[in-house]
Amino acid sequence: MSAGDMSAGEMSAVEVGAGEMSAVEVGAVGVGAGAMSDASARDPGLGAAGGAGHASDAPDSRRTGRLRLPGDRGGRLTDSRGAGRVGRVLSAALLAAWFLLPLVPLLLWAFADRWSFPAVLPTEWGTDGLESALAQGAVPAFGRSLVLGLVVAAIATPIGAMAARALTLGTARWPRAIGLLLLAPIALPPFAAVMGLNVVLLRAYIPPLIGLVLVLVVVALPYTTFAMRVAYAAHDIRFEEEARTLGASPFTVLWLVHVPLVAPALARAAFLAFLVGWSDYIVTVIVGGGAAVTLPLVIASAAAGIGNDAAVAILSLTAVLPPLALLVLVGLAGRRASPSRPVRTDVDARSARSRMHDRGASE
Amino acid sequence: MSLAPLPTGSTAAGRRRLRGTLLVLPALVPALFVVGGGIGAAVLQSLGLMPLVGEARLSLDAYTAQSSSLPTATAVSLGIATASTLIAGSVGLAAALVIVSGRWGGRLVAALGAATVTVPHLVGAAAIGLLLADSGLLPRLLGIPADAWPRLVGGPWWAAVIAEYAWKESAFVALVVAGTLATRVASYDETAALLGAGRLKRLRFVMIPLSLPALVVASTIAFVYTLGSYEVAWLLGRSYPEPLPVMALRLFDSISLTSRPEAAAVAVVTTAISLVAVGLAFLALRRTALWR
Repeated sequence: MSAGDMSAGEMSAVEVGAGEMSAVEVGAVGVGAGAMSDASARDPGLGAAGGAGHASDAPDSRRTGRLRLPGDRGGRLTDSRGAGRVGRVLSAALLAAWFLLPLVPLLLWAFADRWSFPAVLPTEWGTDGLESALAQGAVPAFGRSLVLGLVVAAIATPIGAMAARALTLGTARWPRAIGLLLLAPIALPPFAAVMGLNVVLLRAYIPPLIGLVLVLVVVALPYTTFAMRVAYAAHDIRFEEEARTLGASPFTVLWLVHVPLVAPALARAAFLAFLVGWSDYIVTVIVGGGAAVTLPLVIASAAAGIGNDAAVAILSLTAVLPPLALLVLVGLAGRRASPSRPVRTDVDARSARSRMHDRGASE
Repeated sequence: MSLAPLPTGSTAAGRRRLRGTLLVLPALVPALFVVGGGIGAAVLQSLGLMPLVGEARLSLDAYTAQSSSLPTATAVSLGIATASTLIAGSVGLAAALVIVSGRWGGRLVAALGAATVTVPHLVGAAAIGLLLADSGLLPRLLGIPADAWPRLVGGPWWAAVIAEYAWKESAFVALVVAGTLATRVASYDETAALLGAGRLKRLRFVMIPLSLPALVVASTIAFVYTLGSYEVAWLLGRSYPEPLPVMALRLFDSISLTSRPEAAAVAVVTTAISLVAVGLAFLALRRTALWR
């Protein structure tokens, strides 16, 4: 929720209120005041988490002692009160449990040497799982997965960004067909394409590792292209034109104007492409043909066996942590670019404003 | 494309076009090769036109050879994908509505959903196995003895497989729907509230119509992914009947010469079902008022 959206929402609310003066306005003020008292009664810590804008602005209106109007910042008209609020907290808690529950046994099993059946907690803690995971080649597999993910991200991000730029700025031919083709891998079962391709790659004498990277790059392209199309739709190309007019070389414009403006989106696209390479199993099995024993392959062979649950848990946690760390990094990078909304940067607001003056220049 | 000016445009426009084409090519060529080459080769192999050894001969043998198990596998795959997509869609929509409500609960759900999306499916399968197996965490927590616990892993109803896909894809659906809702929902929701719409009416007439296109798109992607995904059904499912990807890979790895075309036939059938699903989703999208 950005400040821009909030003000737009409240502005339309004010407009409606002005149109239907008396009754609606009075009712809205009443509700607004109710929301206000609700907000002030709330724990200040929760208020800060709920939305920076509300929490910081609410004390202002209180200090001036002015009557709260629906256009003011503060508790929203749509905020739930009473039973609705209880329901929302409950549903949030249930959803949090839904997302968290499957990861709990991983954490418990990871350091359980023995966990006999009816016991709710491991009966003997220890590092047997860790030792077993190391013995199964967790470290080299981790390294291979990391390299594979990084290589896929390093290739799929720039070519996806280039295609997205050409498609968004309308300089490419047949943009619809090309856009559909680049999105196609998301709609097709990867094992089908890979089974067919396997013969082609063998006949063309393409080494398995090259083939693996090639296929995974194509699987990652829908994500990078889509992420970058969203970014370029909000990108104002006239910043680059301005820099060119002022004498910057195309290279300088690329590095000092273009890339910094789309950097948060590039980070997101690279993260998604990394995930494709990092978590792939079936393409690595079929095309890699044993040339790349990545972490998912080690997990699969451990999980298919019986009795090494602790090793499976350790290996699984190893596979979960790097993407989580990257997610936090990408989130922090996005947050630095814009304090209220990590996903979109302040470029949005600027280009939206300029588009009001000159429609279609950046579309 | 050539450097010569286009008949209708100036030289500058022609150069712009050329630059656009050059920018697209590095993504287009590999995508064409993998998508077109892969699916094309699978079709040719399934029709006997691209044998590993021997001469090419057009035949439908690969499709008829598995005529007993192919319909079963298709039914199993469709059942798993439908069940998990329905759960993922409803849980994802609920999570998206909680996320756009924007309070701490929404932030928590958004963070956990984003974390869940990053978990590899194989890890999800291992985790669900440790949770739902008869010696897993859930029977321990509920105090149910192992022999009274239903066979969720490897059992007749594919419960663990469906649970894994529902879990992972609900996070995906939640993030996609919340992402599209967040940009425009605030103004409509507040306006409706100001005009006197209650909680249920706002849900029915504002939130659900606004999230429907994104929900359809995300659910379709989840459905198609589930249909074509191998590792979860392989790890948590039973050996017979098997879903399409597991069947295809078993045939692909088998040593007999006829099995490669049969594996390709299963792959082609899976691809065809995916394309039909995507086509139906597009038709459904065009019927929703908010598309475009």
